[in-house]
Amino acid sequence: MKYKTLCRCILLPALLLFGAQVALAQFTVSGRVTDANGEALPGATVAVVGASRGTTADVDGNYSVEIPGNAATLAIAYTGYKTVNVQVTSASPKVDVIMEEDFAGLDEVVISGLATNVKRANLANAVSSITSNELVGTTVQSTMDGALYGKLTGVNIIANSGAPGGGATVKFRGITTLNGNSQPLYIVDGVYYDNSNFRSNTNFVSAAAGQGSTRYQDNPSNRVADLDPEDIERIEVLKGASAAAIYGSRAAAGVVLITTKRGRKDGSTEVNVSQSIGFQQQLKKLGVRQWDASKVEASFGTDEVAKYNQAVTAGKVYNYEDELFGEKGILNTTRLSINGGSDKFGYYAGVTKKSENGIVKNTGYDKTSVRLNLDSKAFSWADLQVNLNYVNSESDRGYFNNDNTSTTLGISYVSTPSWADLFPDEQGNYPNNPYAPSNFLQTRDLVTNREKVDRILGGAIGTFKLWSNESNVLNLIVRGGADQYSLRTRSIFPRELQFQKDGNGTNGVSIAGTASSFGTNIAAFLVHTFTTNSNISFRTQAGVTQENLDQDFVNTVASQLIGSQTNLNQAGSVQVIQERLKQVDKGFFAQEEVNFKDIAILTLGIRGDKSSRNGDANKLYYYPKASLALNIHEMTDLGGEISQLKLRGAFGQSGNFGPFGATYTPLNPIIIDGSTGSIIGITLGNTTIGPERQTEIEMGFDLGFVQNRYNFEFTYYLKNIDDLILQVNTPSSSGFTTAWRNAADLENKGFEIALDLNPVRNRDINWDSRISFWKNTAKISRLDVPAYNLGAFGATLGTYRIEEGKSPTQIVGIDPDADANGLHVFGDAEPDFQMAFNNALRYREWELNFLFHWKKGGENINLSTLLSDIFGTSPDYDGTNLDPSGMAVNGDYRLSQLGVSANAWVEDAGYLRLREVGLRYNLPPRWFNDKAKVKLGFSGRNLINIFDYSSYDPEVSNFGTDAISSSVEVTPFPSAKSFFFTIGATF
Amino acid sequence: MILPAFLAMGFVACDIDTIDDPNNPSVGAISANASLSEIQNLVTGIEAGMRLNLGQYYDGVGVIGRDFYRFSTSDPRFTSDLLGKGSATLDNNTFYTTNPYSSRYRAVKNANILLEAVDNSTALTTAEARNAVKGYANTIKAYQLLLVWVQQYDNGIRIEVSNADDLGPFIGENDHKAALRAIAMILDEGYGQLTSGGAEFPFSLSSGFTGFDTPVAFAHVNRALLARVQAYNENWDNALDALGSSFLDLGGDLNTGVYHTYSTAGGDALNPQWYPLNATGESRVAHPSFVADAEAGDMRLSKATARDNTEFQDGLQSDYDFTVYANNSSSIPIIRNEELILLYAEANIQKGDATSLNNAVSALDVIRNAAGLPDYSGPVDQAALLDEMLMQRRYSLYGEGHRWVDMRRYGRLDELPLDRSGDDVWTKFPRPANED
Repeated sequence: MKYKTLCRCILLPALLLFGAQVALAQFTVSGRVTDANGEALPGATVAVVGASRGTTADVDGNYSVEIPGNAATLAIAYTGYKTVNVQVTSASPKVDVIMEEDFAGLDEVVISGLATNVKRANLANAVSSITSNELVGTTVQSTMDGALYGKLTGVNIIANSGAPGGGATVKFRGITTLNGNSQPLYIVDGVYYDNSNFRSNTNFVSAAAGQGSTRYQDNPSNRVADLDPEDIERIEVLKGASAAAIYGSRAAAGVVLITTKRGRKDGSTEVNVSQSIGFQQQLKKLGVRQWDASKVEASFGTDEVAKYNQAVTAGKVYNYEDELFGEKGILNTTRLSINGGSDKFGYYAGVTKKSENGIVKNTGYDKTSVRLNLDSKAFSWADLQVNLNYVNSESDRGYFNNDNTSTTLGISYVSTPSWADLFPDEQGNYPNNPYAPSNFLQTRDLVTNREKVDRILGGAIGTFKLWSNESNVLNLIVRGGADQYSLRTRSIFPRELQFQKDGNGTNGVSIAGTASSFGTNIAAFLVHTFTTNSNISFRTQAGVTQENLDQDFVNTVASQLIGSQTNLNQAGSVQVIQERLKQVDKGFFAQEEVNFKDIAILTLGIRGDKSSRNGDANKLYYYPKASLALNIHEMTDLGGEISQLKLRGAFGQSGNFGPFGATYTPLNPIIIDGSTGSIIGITLGNTTIGPERQTEIEMGFDLGFVQNRYNFEFTYYLKNIDDLILQVNTPSSSGFTTAWRNAADLENKGFEIALDLNPVRNRDINWDSRISFWKNTAKISRLDVPAYNLGAFGATLGTYRIEEGKSPTQIVGIDPDADANGLHVFGDAEPDFQMAFNNALRYREWELNFLFHWKKGGENINLSTLLSDIFGTSPDYDGTNLDPSGMAVNGDYRLSQLGVSANAWVEDAGYLRLREVGLRYNLPPRWFNDKAKVKLGFSGRNLINIFDYSSYDPEVSNFGTDAISSSVEVTPFPSAKSFFFTIGATF
Repeated sequence: MILPAFLAMGFVACDIDTIDDPNNPSVGAISANASLSEIQNLVTGIEAGMRLNLGQYYDGVGVIGRDFYRFSTSDPRFTSDLLGKGSATLDNNTFYTTNPYSSRYRAVKNANILLEAVDNSTALTTAEARNAVKGYANTIKAYQLLLVWVQQYDNGIRIEVSNADDLGPFIGENDHKAALRAIAMILDEGYGQLTSGGAEFPFSLSSGFTGFDTPVAFAHVNRALLARVQAYNENWDNALDALGSSFLDLGGDLNTGVYHTYSTAGGDALNPQWYPLNATGESRVAHPSFVADAEAGDMRLSKATARDNTEFQDGLQSDYDFTVYANNSSSIPIIRNEELILLYAEANIQKGDATSLNNAVSALDVIRNAAGLPDYSGPVDQAALLDEMLMQRRYSLYGEGHRWVDMRRYGRLDELPLDRSGDDVWTKFPRPANED
């Protein structure tokens, strides 16, 4: 029955098509659009209000548009300027328009819906936007996710490691799941953009997932890294369900809407070329322990003292930190883009070639991205858009993070004292490292660990103008796209490695993985706008959506390699893993917006979704939304210097799927006596499992002063996530030990404050400043199962604990001062608050931008120190600032805590850093006969970093994008800071 | 242009086809209509699944039954909890309780899936074939439940567990015989099915079932298991009846029977009860009383081999390794002729009349002679023969999980040696925490 209702609600509006009419009387209006100084504003859009027609101003700012009937209102808009409405009649067909700059961005159009946009002034949510200039205007960005740092309120981004090619955990307004997808949904020009990560399976060699933790720790990059930030025109971030409800069951972790650059509409052509060259170096050097004979004896025994003395005499005490992490990696980015077009046709083409070398030899990232975006406005009844993007990337990520074989670069580095001699002889033979199973110089030089991606993204959007008259417009919008990529991982551990030869390993390992992902989505919407003479408008939209995802991961491990062969069949033993994922989602949505003279804007909407990921694939889950924005300043003059007061409130729900496979009860393969059989898996699938449901209420106000040169924005939110999906214990007489259940609730609340200032603004000097502050607190508000520890490596070393009434990211561990469960709370991964201070200064031709980002508090579990203490190599081993009794040196103190308290490994991970700084000089155009604009710039990322954290960088995640344990460190690839020189020209 | 768009809309609004698990065979699909190869996979899965955590099962009953010690530097609970050291008790949420329990029920679940699949499978075309599969599944299921009963005893055990969301009650709470009766009923059901199961199984079994891989031969295994259950339940006539239809052979090879097989082949499991000789740290060593209490000349002492060095741990020590199994590919018996002969002796002793006692003596002599011992020369009365029978069971079935149950059956747990003051002999394992 439901489907019939669904079909009817879509087909009914369709019948309206056949009543389409065309008005006959018309006249032409023309004029020129300029700014206050009389400068032309080419590309300004001129729209006829209530009719589906319009045009854009040409290079000289001139426009001309045909108008049905005898009178109309024109709405003239231009990015960064306030929209102007003018009345025109056939009696006065010449209208020039002077536009005023829009300091607060109130007329900026924000993409907030599936099919429609809304002016920022009328938005009822705190939607964060980032423009191209904010994203990449200051400095060169390696990946899109990395470029977001500190630029959005309510967002917590953690780089998983410093390995080239990215990999970041992005969380909006706290964590939203325990076992489900923890990462936001990315949508690029209407196409769902897959952000999976696939492991390389170096785990076969590292055995990281085995003893302390069963989770993989292969440090993969996530696939949103494939997007080229240079192509992005703007990013809108829907942080919670109140804004993202219309994205339904995939939107619980937030939605990132990305709009790429498009062709110009003014008949001109613009060519941009730029070249950046720079380098990166280790962000923070920890130094190495300064040895003397007595320390050597204490840590390594009497026998080592002679070896140490010998090495000192021979001058063979090395700083392996410099040797391993001391590279200055060259960073090279070449960029070319062309955009142009007319009012009928527009094109944008962008090419980026990026080549980055890491701070560890043989690591790096190369990427080529090609984009072509086409627009056709050739037909009066249809606008068409086609977008294509091809990306090819290759990253050599090194071999880092946790292991149980002491073979990763990180772990063998901390196991090795300075007097070890690991350098190869003249023939290139590496000595065995007597202190660890791996000679990390050999490992670095001989091991390959590479990810290669080929990705094609294609999308098309058609806007069909079905019907319009003076007060009605009916459009059909059809949108579809496909996202296809193959990720090939290749990890080669040659047999001459210390940990592969002589019975120490498997005589060489060659691992080849292929993950192919194919996603498609299609959606169709009808949008009807009805505007009354008294400027009250009703916008009704309804539509249907479908998304498909098909992923296939095949990974082959070949060991016992024959000689130096790396082909998978040149091996004595081969293991294959295959994991597939298939998903089909279908949904519909309907929404009604009522705009009362821009004073009150009320929106009501509902989305219904069904998915093969739910227990019942055909059950519709509904996600309603409602919001209200009140522009008080439109109603009454607030007096004084108050130029804007908006009150806003929004409510919405969204969903999140459980882990793929939670609906299935699988039979697992098992072998006896040469035959393979099927045995029931230990986890009972749940055929009634539903999505996790998020309900968010958001309230806030915006206040503007002095023509909105000073703005204050405040937002409070309360976000409840119900029916969290957990793997709960079951009576094992059922044959299963665990089962999937919707069994917990989570609550996030917090607030976000932003202050935009434009204190100085004149012809020569402009200073824009944005200060933002955000804070989130979370707690588990319902838990149907007993409290349990989750993630990291157990209570001895610190772990997370899911417990009713407590933060889901609380860090607990053993301690003499313990509760009834034998645990003590040592911290919480959740930051106390975050602040960002973003400034753009211009003095004539000079521009200076900088962004400071302060994260206060939030703890990490740092096990790098544990490992380096065990091997006596911690740089701060001989410090004396930890032991409360002042007796033991740091290393001895921390080791004395092993098995007593986990306190020693829980560290404050707060920081203050200069995320970005850029200084740019725009060369006078007359030097180039006004044919080109050329700019020169110096810039950098992460140049200043202040933190107490005792390792390379408090931003780290051994477990990648894991929902809970994303703040654990085990000998990662260290982070880097980077410096760039850029020259760019626009023709 | 517009019409196709709306056709597309109509299309997307329709149903989603359920997507089967792309990575694994699904229970639903197999239950609905299993092919012959899927039935084979389930059978093989049951056979392999019976071995899961079997090592921990034998360690649990073997250590409590004072057959051997299990020393482990990485886990002190083998010598503390299992032996009741000081105030240590058996925990209801620790591996020795939960792992064998859940693994036995996992094999039961596989058998239940097989039973459900049989009725819906169009690949099994004859009633005989269906009976053969069911008879196999019920026999194995009963055996797995019996192992659960051994550890759970009068906690009661769940018999009906085919619906994970609606598990049956605990049968035999405070009356352990009720559970045994329920197990016997499953065996009887299986026996009826096997005897009308035709000449061939519609699947093949591992080499551990060589000689018992037809419905008729497998029915002998079913009766052998029933004999054990009836003896545990003290139904001596029934036990003798069952033995009569089993593969009992007083003159035959004592090792004839059915086994769990192990091998070093890729993906297969290794015998979990085997450790190399003179292992230290992680080791399994014979309880000193096993050697001390033996009759001189008993060849079965080869099951405890003298170590080069005494192995110590946690206040315990032994000079003998546990060497029931020669290597890591040795098979572990499910039931074999030697036990049947001893069950035959036991049932006859319990009957108590002169003929029966003489039958018992001849059976015990078969066992004694095979162990290199002379014929029984003690008094031919019930009490003396029961002692002798238990003694022979101790040595013949050493390390195969019997002594603890035998001493419990005869109320003699207090005769098991306590090695440290404060040690305890447990009567049963606690019910696993997740069951409540």
